Amino acid sequence: MRDQIDKYAAKLVADRSACPEAIAFAAQDDVLIASGAPELAPLAGRVLLRLSSLALLVARPSLPFAEFLLARAATGESCIVPQDTETRTFLHDIPFLRKEDLPEDPAPEIARLLGNRKGVIVEGVGIVAVGAITVEQAYINYSSVFHSTFVKYLQDLLSGGFLLPGEREAFQAFRSRWLRPLLASGLSFRDHLSQDREEILSEVEAVGRYTVERGLVDSFFGNISARAGGLIYISQTAASLDELKGCIDPVPTDNSSTTGITASSELLAHRKIFEASGARVILHGHPKFAVVMSMLCETRDCPIKDCWKDCPQVRHLGGTPVVAGEIGAGGLAKRVPPVIGATGSAIVYGHGVFAIGMDGFGEAFAAMVDVENFCREEYFRRLDALC
Amino acid sequence: MHGWTGKILYVDLSNGSCRREEIPTKLLHAYLGGRGLGVRLMRDYFRLDPFDPQMPLIFAVGPLCGTASPTSARLACVSRSPLTGTIYDCSAGGRFPWRLKAAGLDVVFITGKSPEPVLLAIDGEGAELVPAAGLWGKGTRETVALLKQRGSVTAIGPAGENGVLFANIMMGEGNSIGRGGLGAVMGSKGLKAVTVDGSAVTRIADGERFDAARADVMRLFRASPVIFGELGISEYGTPALVDLMAQRRMAPTENFSSTFFADSGNYSGPSIRRECGAKKDGCYGCPIQCKKSSAQGEPLPEYETVNHFGALNGISDLHAIVRANTLCNELGMDTISAAATLSAFGEARGRFPEASEVPGLLCDMAYRRGEGELLSLGSRRATQRLGKPALSMSVKSLELPAYDPRGAYGMALAYVTSNRGGCHLRAYPISHEILRKPVPTDRFSFSGKARIIKIAEDVNAAVDSLIACKFAFFGATLEEYGELVSAVTGVEYTPESLKAIGERIYLTERFYNCENGFGAADDLLPERFFSEPGSPGEGIEVAPIDRARFDEELQKYYRIRGLTPEGTFADRKFLEGQP
Repeated sequence: MRDQIDKYAAKLVADRSACPEAIAFAAQDDVLIASGAPELAPLAGRVLLRLSSLALLVARPSLPFAEFLLARAATGESCIVPQDTETRTFLHDIPFLRKEDLPEDPAPEIARLLGNRKGVIVEGVGIVAVGAITVEQAYINYSSVFHSTFVKYLQDLLSGGFLLPGEREAFQAFRSRWLRPLLASGLSFRDHLSQDREEILSEVEAVGRYTVERGLVDSFFGNISARAGGLIYISQTAASLDELKGCIDPVPTDNSSTTGITASSELLAHRKIFEASGARVILHGHPKFAVVMSMLCETRDCPIKDCWKDCPQVRHLGGTPVVAGEIGAGGLAKRVPPVIGATGSAIVYGHGVFAIGMDGFGEAFAAMVDVENFCREEYFRRLDALC
Repeated sequence: MHGWTGKILYVDLSNGSCRREEIPTKLLHAYLGGRGLGVRLMRDYFRLDPFDPQMPLIFAVGPLCGTASPTSARLACVSRSPLTGTIYDCSAGGRFPWRLKAAGLDVVFITGKSPEPVLLAIDGEGAELVPAAGLWGKGTRETVALLKQRGSVTAIGPAGENGVLFANIMMGEGNSIGRGGLGAVMGSKGLKAVTVDGSAVTRIADGERFDAARADVMRLFRASPVIFGELGISEYGTPALVDLMAQRRMAPTENFSSTFFADSGNYSGPSIRRECGAKKDGCYGCPIQCKKSSAQGEPLPEYETVNHFGALNGISDLHAIVRANTLCNELGMDTISAAATLSAFGEARGRFPEASEVPGLLCDMAYRRGEGELLSLGSRRATQRLGKPALSMSVKSLELPAYDPRGAYGMALAYVTSNRGGCHLRAYPISHEILRKPVPTDRFSFSGKARIIKIAEDVNAAVDSLIACKFAFFGATLEEYGELVSAVTGVEYTPESLKAIGERIYLTERFYNCENGFGAADDLLPERFFSEPGSPGEGIEVAPIDRARFDEELQKYYRIRGLTPEGTFADRKFLEGQP
């Protein structure tokens, strides 16, 4: 398991979600391993010993947003309730522990909270996430908490502005130093994807890596597909987009085989998008500013409360349609296909972006980058106007 | 009381008595229901021979049964298996569990032996034993039809009456209490059927919390490609796995001598849909509806059944496989063990059965006549008597299902650590090794598998006690089901506390087995898997399992479980520390 710990510690550094000097993992088979930052590794081990799980990750996020959310929370509150789709579906809520409530050894209390949730925020420590059966799962859950707190904090700023001492300065540092220009250039795409299986697999693998490297995902999730003849080549469910070799399912379009039962949960959406748009390729990611902006609705006194699944409107962000719809067999597969053909991209409320290419992935990737850049600019325009 | 009814019905077939009693609340809280409660109630009986008249046959529902909790209309049937000699439970769904709960019962606890065939008729608060000599000898379909007016029915067929060691108890809707031969235990008691009706409503402690938790579960079902994906089990049933297992080169073929069957496409999910007009069917109130039935309403075979009557016996005729499945259901006989025993028998005699021979052989098994007398004992005993014991592809005498262990090392380990013998459902590592849920693991690696199997066994023991269907956990987790059971009962449960309950159940079962003589010497895979490769293809090599690495992981597993290197308990007073 040490190789797994090294692998996912490196990923946390590569995706810049954690401070490199403040990452610790614990994992247990018949013995317990705890490694990483000396001030965090013992805590990771003590927490994991109290859980019937295989792995645990403690890390200080590279951004202070989780702690800001905790500090902004009203007295008496004990958890953050994210609104984006991924976290609504899988995390439900994120409990937190304030520094003033931490006992001398916080391990039992952290373990108690992790006994019921996948991740917890501990003030002064960071994000603690558990992996029930793999080290990778701990990484995923950490990343999900990082993603959801990022999204929620940016949402909250738009409604409440800066409230805490040092908050504005920290946010300015995020904006000027942590954020990097998002570009589609410098990457190599095939202009016209052929029907050749090996070429398609190679291209899908490469585009998966690009999508992760450019930060268009949370952890490494999203999905990618290419249509060729009677097959849809699509990334498997729970696949790391940056490690797609051997994780791409060829699915017959006529459903004559069920080998693709391991395909992405968005297989139906991909199929319908192909049918509606005539596209060759589809790219789906979870870029953060698009997720934030998709949930910004200015309709007042709307009777719909569960907007993420029930909103029937097609709104627009910079010309890109925004629709509601739950993932998998939820409404997403019905609402995206009718709108994506006209613009080449679509945003799903609180979830992410679908982009298509008629010939190859270059077009789809550029479209997703354009959507995210528009949302980023629009976000800051609104925030600057507010604060 | 919320969730539970708190009532147990004791039935003594020897003296004809039926009486209701209270179940101690602390047992309900500590063991939940279903498998856990049934296993706990076996504490004073587990040493008895399975056919001893005093051996209990227990039907237990869980606190979620009777509510709209997804996949919870299930019960566990618990006793000691005559096939394996282990403690035994089987989870089964249908309308019967729902009606049992509606009759105000959590448990029916049956002991004794009736001098004449009887049926147990439960109707609301009432229960009586009714002479059933006229039903003895009848198939399950006719039995169910004749008793329909009494409510939901569970019954044995000729196999159970005749003591076939892998006889099932069949639910009226076609679901089976299968694998371990509890139908033979029921038959040995002279009990042909149990009927149940009732109208009581299960009380929920916090309706609003329940609705929110249920919505969370359903959202996760919709997000799961295995459950509600267009190629998933809701659409195609478990035969959706046929194509996948073929592609992964781990479909047991010709008594596990190879792992790929070129004609498996004949009985894939899409083929069954096309050839049999398969339509959605399933357990009462279940949103998944993974069972499939023909246009005429006949239950169609599951993945295990199509593979074992197909590839395992070298048969490619879908309609022959469907007929074999129907016949097993009618005779009340487990399809996996029946087909695997035929396959072992086939290899032993140098010829696998022709499709046309299968119906005759199945009938001979059920009625224990001719070669069927030998086959009715299951593959281990049959091959032993034929002088070829290595040809039984079983663990603790339970025939292995349709996942070749050379293609999934967690599955290899889980087959031997299962407390009921070679079963895929105790730890269900296929979920992560093949179906990538909740996250994928490397199927050709033992790394971490001892801990993973231990955790999964605990989780599934809790799931079997709530009770929910394991397929629900291709999407949901104990986080959501913990919320459901807390909302229903008003007692707070978390994933971690449920896993602790699961661990208690697992260890209790293991302790019973160890007290009955089981140990590391029984935690064995057949030699074939360590010495012969599977079938290569599509860039996949299926090597024999490395025995040293397997043994090392098994020892890790024992250490994680707190067992001795012999797989036993250092503390002989283990049970005294349990509620």
